[in-house]
Amino acid sequence: MENFLILRLLDLFKPVFLKMGVEYKTMRRILQVKLTMDQRRKPTVFSQSMKKKDKPEKNEFFKSLWIYGFFGLMLIPFLFLKENYLFQVSILFSIFMFIIMTTLISDFSSVLLDLRDKSVLDTKPVKSKTVSMAKLLHVTIYMLYITLATTLIPLVVSVIFKGILFSGLLLASFALADIFIIAFTALLYLFILRYFDGEKLKDIINYVQIALSIGIMIGYQVVARSFELVNLDYQLEFAWWQLLLPPMWFAGLFDVLLGGSRSFGNVILTLFAVLGPVVSILVYVKMIPDFERNLQKLTAQTGKKKASSKWKVFRSMPFFISKEELPFFRFTRIMMKNERDFKLKVYPSLGFAVVVPFVFMFNSYSMMSFEEFAASRSYLTIYSVMLVIPMSVIMLAHSGSYKGSWIYQVAPVKSLGLINKAALKAFLFQLFLPLFLLVSIMFSFLFGLRILDDLIAVFLAALIYTLLCYLAGERELAFSLPFDAVKQSGDIKVFLLFLIIPLFVGLHFLALILPFGVAGYAILLFAVNWILWKRLR
Amino acid sequence: MSSEVLSITGLKKSYGSKEVLKGIDLKVDKGEIIGYIGPNGAGKSTTVKLMLGLEEGYSGRIEIFGEDIAGQGGSYKQRIGYIPETSEMYDSLTAQEYLTFVAELYGMDYDDADRKAEQLFDVFGLGDVYHSRISSFSKGMRQKTLIVSSFLHNPDLLFLDEPLTGLDANSVMVFKEILARFAAEGKTIFYSSHIMDVVEKISNRIVLLHGGHIVANGSFEELKTQSKEGSLESIFNQMTGFHEHEDRAAEFVSIVREG
Repeated sequence: MENFLILRLLDLFKPVFLKMGVEYKTMRRILQVKLTMDQRRKPTVFSQSMKKKDKPEKNEFFKSLWIYGFFGLMLIPFLFLKENYLFQVSILFSIFMFIIMTTLISDFSSVLLDLRDKSVLDTKPVKSKTVSMAKLLHVTIYMLYITLATTLIPLVVSVIFKGILFSGLLLASFALADIFIIAFTALLYLFILRYFDGEKLKDIINYVQIALSIGIMIGYQVVARSFELVNLDYQLEFAWWQLLLPPMWFAGLFDVLLGGSRSFGNVILTLFAVLGPVVSILVYVKMIPDFERNLQKLTAQTGKKKASSKWKVFRSMPFFISKEELPFFRFTRIMMKNERDFKLKVYPSLGFAVVVPFVFMFNSYSMMSFEEFAASRSYLTIYSVMLVIPMSVIMLAHSGSYKGSWIYQVAPVKSLGLINKAALKAFLFQLFLPLFLLVSIMFSFLFGLRILDDLIAVFLAALIYTLLCYLAGERELAFSLPFDAVKQSGDIKVFLLFLIIPLFVGLHFLALILPFGVAGYAILLFAVNWILWKRLR
Repeated sequence: MSSEVLSITGLKKSYGSKEVLKGIDLKVDKGEIIGYIGPNGAGKSTTVKLMLGLEEGYSGRIEIFGEDIAGQGGSYKQRIGYIPETSEMYDSLTAQEYLTFVAELYGMDYDDADRKAEQLFDVFGLGDVYHSRISSFSKGMRQKTLIVSSFLHNPDLLFLDEPLTGLDANSVMVFKEILARFAAEGKTIFYSSHIMDVVEKISNRIVLLHGGHIVANGSFEELKTQSKEGSLESIFNQMTGFHEHEDRAAEFVSIVREG
């Protein structure tokens, strides 16, 4: 097993851990094992072979880091705003904390809430403190990598243009923000774990994760806009609610240390910036035993769900769902509803998909009156709902219980392609359609019913887009791959698939210019749909 | 020192309002092989998990090696070996990596553990996959890996939950012989299983758990005279009040036939 560089760095802090009563050697070993496992992708069921030679190990995780570097580029413009630290830094940290927190929630919740450790580690003579510390460090190490990837370029830029002092403070603040985020997330989970149990708890965690992602997104908009509405020179007055927005803490810190501000509000914010992370991590470490105890609740299988019998409706829709597809359609719907990992990865983006069209829309709204706006073509922002499709389609091929997919091979299914076709339809029906209808209804209120034909065209385009996303992917069977294989191929592909959406918008724009263009566009899309879905086997 | 290895007094455990264990009393001596049986959901695994400290929040008293396990860290686990029912392992590791890791958690030296684990693997006829990933193993190979990992540190007390899953007949014979030898040497084995023939043969005492209570506790011979049944299977049926196996089977067959 590899002796990881990061572990050798950790050795420097050995005395600290020993002082805390952690068995350092054991903890280091656990971390080493965890990091080794992270490097390996589990082989999929169908490509499993006994004599598989272990290839030289390349951490898939590191390959995905570039995307964070890309996100980090977004930070750079904010380094060059006027010398108004309050504004500049709060925006900077809003973006940074958004990236880190959503990553933590979507990718590393599984580490915090892992139960597999229990039967392997807790049966051994190892202090629970040691195990918990290993867990915390495991997450922290990844946060460290992601933070570095995100901030490296901005930091280099800031050293060149803003000087060492600014950059040093920036780095320290990023670290503080990281600590705060990890502790805050863990404490949030703890809070939920305490008051609820079993299945309900997992659902609640799921919803909190979704709400949090949406909340951060909206919060970011609010922060950005609150400065935009008043003009840039405006010195934001201190108000109590600013203490609830962690990015503002760091803004205060910068204003005090570099801007020379000594106002009461800024000093309070500065105190929060320093004490917030420290206090939260101390509280978390104190609460760890409590956390672990409550974690046990996750295994408890409680609650009976009533089976619904809505399926009968679909038996009468052979045009959309053939008789052979029906079982898989039903199966996919149930899986999407119950598969927690799937919900975790996909549902937050569903939330975004509702918010994003409005964000785009208000960006254009700020430049005109309501009448102009209502008559405008801003409703085309509804295309951004389609952003949810690529990730969802990729995720459809994955499952936490992917090994169960042997059933496809064993059962006498006519064509395996059928399974995916049904799965795609189930996704469109179960997740996309309600979402699209919701946004459509809201848009119809804003723009009037005149946009009805446009909406139909958009939906038809979405159907085609779904199919394109599927064809561009691996075309693996639904729920047949483990989740950890997603990371490395997913990000890049999703990003490239996003680029197709503007093409649809462009075509729609063209159609709007021509007489009866939209109707023609819709008919064309319908025909393409017809052909493509027919041919999909 | 007394020969009592394990002592449970008045053990109760509930999940929410549901009481799973309703007062268990059990004493186990050194060198005994206890067959711990009971219907699904009777609380067998819960008992074992409580003894290993995997579950908390019980009333009653559990003493292992003469000491109350509540309040004394995890040091007693040093002398325990455990095969869990769900064969959970870090299976993206190779057998070598996993086994040495587990051994080190028990405080063994890496090189000693490595040498010992490889020898044990050889004995099971798995020498050539010692460096392969566990995820590529068959059920039986996984089970053998678990067996090796639970014996590697030479424990005095073993908790085995369905340890024979997936093993072929030859391996089962080897394993039964291993247990007998260890018991003769003074190791204590706590064996829970649903396979009655095996429990009947290897245990010197059988403990039957039903509805949160121990309903039978004695050697196979004692149970036989007590219930006047010939095999452990029928004793089990009788004690758990299950008589309708023929009706159930007939019903199953007829439903399948219906089409």
